[in-house]
Amino acid sequence: MFESNIFFQDFSGILTVVPYTLGLALLILILGILIGGILTLIDQYKIPFLFQVAAVCLSFLRGTPLLVQLYLAYYGMPKLILFFAGLLNFKFDPNQFDPVITVIVSYSICFSAFQSEIIRGAFMSVSYGQIEAAHSLGFSSVQTLRRIVIPQAIIEALPNFLNSYLTIIKSLSLAFMVSVVDILAKAKLESALNFRYLESFAAAAAVYWLLCAMLTVVFRRYEQNIRKKA
Amino acid sequence: MLALKNIHKSFNDHEILKGIDLKINKGDVVTIIGPSGTGKTTLLRCVNYLEKPDEGEIAFSDFQLNYQSVKRKDILRLRRRTAMVFQQYNLFKNKTAIENVMEAQIVVQKKSKKAAYEKSLEELNRVGLADKLDAYPSQLSGGQQQRVSIARALAMEPEIILFDEPTSALDPELVGEVLNVIDQIARSGVTILLVTHEMSFAQNISTKIVFMDQGKIVEEGPPSQIFNHSREKRTKEFLSHFNSNYTKITTAK
Repeated sequence: MFESNIFFQDFSGILTVVPYTLGLALLILILGILIGGILTLIDQYKIPFLFQVAAVCLSFLRGTPLLVQLYLAYYGMPKLILFFAGLLNFKFDPNQFDPVITVIVSYSICFSAFQSEIIRGAFMSVSYGQIEAAHSLGFSSVQTLRRIVIPQAIIEALPNFLNSYLTIIKSLSLAFMVSVVDILAKAKLESALNFRYLESFAAAAAVYWLLCAMLTVVFRRYEQNIRKKA
Repeated sequence: MLALKNIHKSFNDHEILKGIDLKINKGDVVTIIGPSGTGKTTLLRCVNYLEKPDEGEIAFSDFQLNYQSVKRKDILRLRRRTAMVFQQYNLFKNKTAIENVMEAQIVVQKKSKKAAYEKSLEELNRVGLADKLDAYPSQLSGGQQQRVSIARALAMEPEIILFDEPTSALDPELVGEVLNVIDQIARSGVTILLVTHEMSFAQNISTKIVFMDQGKIVEEGPPSQIFNHSREKRTKEFLSHFNSNYTKITTAK
């Protein structure tokens, strides 16, 4: 009933897309952190207009499922680009548009909402007293930020970023909906050949689980290492 | 060496400082005493611009600053001549004791690492922490943290060190070690402006006592005058609470 050799065959088949999935998730995480950082800045400095726009965007991102956002991006983005391409007079073929770009853009934006919260929390965790101490010693604002605040905020934020990384890896299983091949998508493709669905999905679960368990151990070691200092 | 002129400061319509004038000479140990909420700490924070006074002037022997028209450069200049020791120590949490002392020397004074290290070693020695160089703040007691922060201030060789209730956050067992260090610094000729509730300590180390109440200086003079022959009724009243021992209040008014 459960063919273990098919399971292992699927397992090794799925392993081939692991590096791709990890890389894609990392790219999304980094872009998410960058966009999240900008959102935090807009929020902290209450930049007029942008501040309100960001608030509406964040509310939307938190209030709609990722899958819905993905579909919106998948069907909306090529049209949007086509429109701007028409304005700017360059050629764009929506049929040649790689859906991976859709995934990268929509996931980065979606996860930037969470990264923004992480960044804000990390900065707030540095006590104001330390900032005052630095100022009283004659540090400029930039020096205070660079030498005192950011090093501590990074230590505070890193474990949460790494946590987000795991979440992104798992969320990428939705990307097959727009025909991007990650771990789950590979499992579906494997089973399409022999109709052994249980084995291939079990193999997918095993890959996810192993991957996350391993990354968790590595991250925890790393966190303990940096925490020793603080 | 340092003169404050007509310092005014309000927080939301509530006037905390109502025109403070104060002169401090080189080597003076000036202690500000007075009830809580009087503006002692605010005055201290105004001196190195952690609070911006609404009005007033600060003058060093060769440098003057009017608080109503300050430039960023002036603020940095002012802060580089003064150093502050906080009630809550405010050490940099991600740095060891010696790194805490070195940091500003490297960043602000642009000293080499080696020079900063040697200076820091000397100052940590002075506060009796030569054996805790590589400890992080979380591994130190409150008294030790406060002594590191004193070393951090000393290492900048400021013209004046501002102490903001340096022992208020410490439990009674640890107060002594910090007071000893301050006493020793005071006797080595460093100019000090101190806010404290440790009256006998203030009486002992100060060259001048300033009594503040409700945003004004009520009386100032040498400790013997303030503590024994005060001219003002309010000063006497305030200090009478420190001379009497604790007695349990049994009758309600």
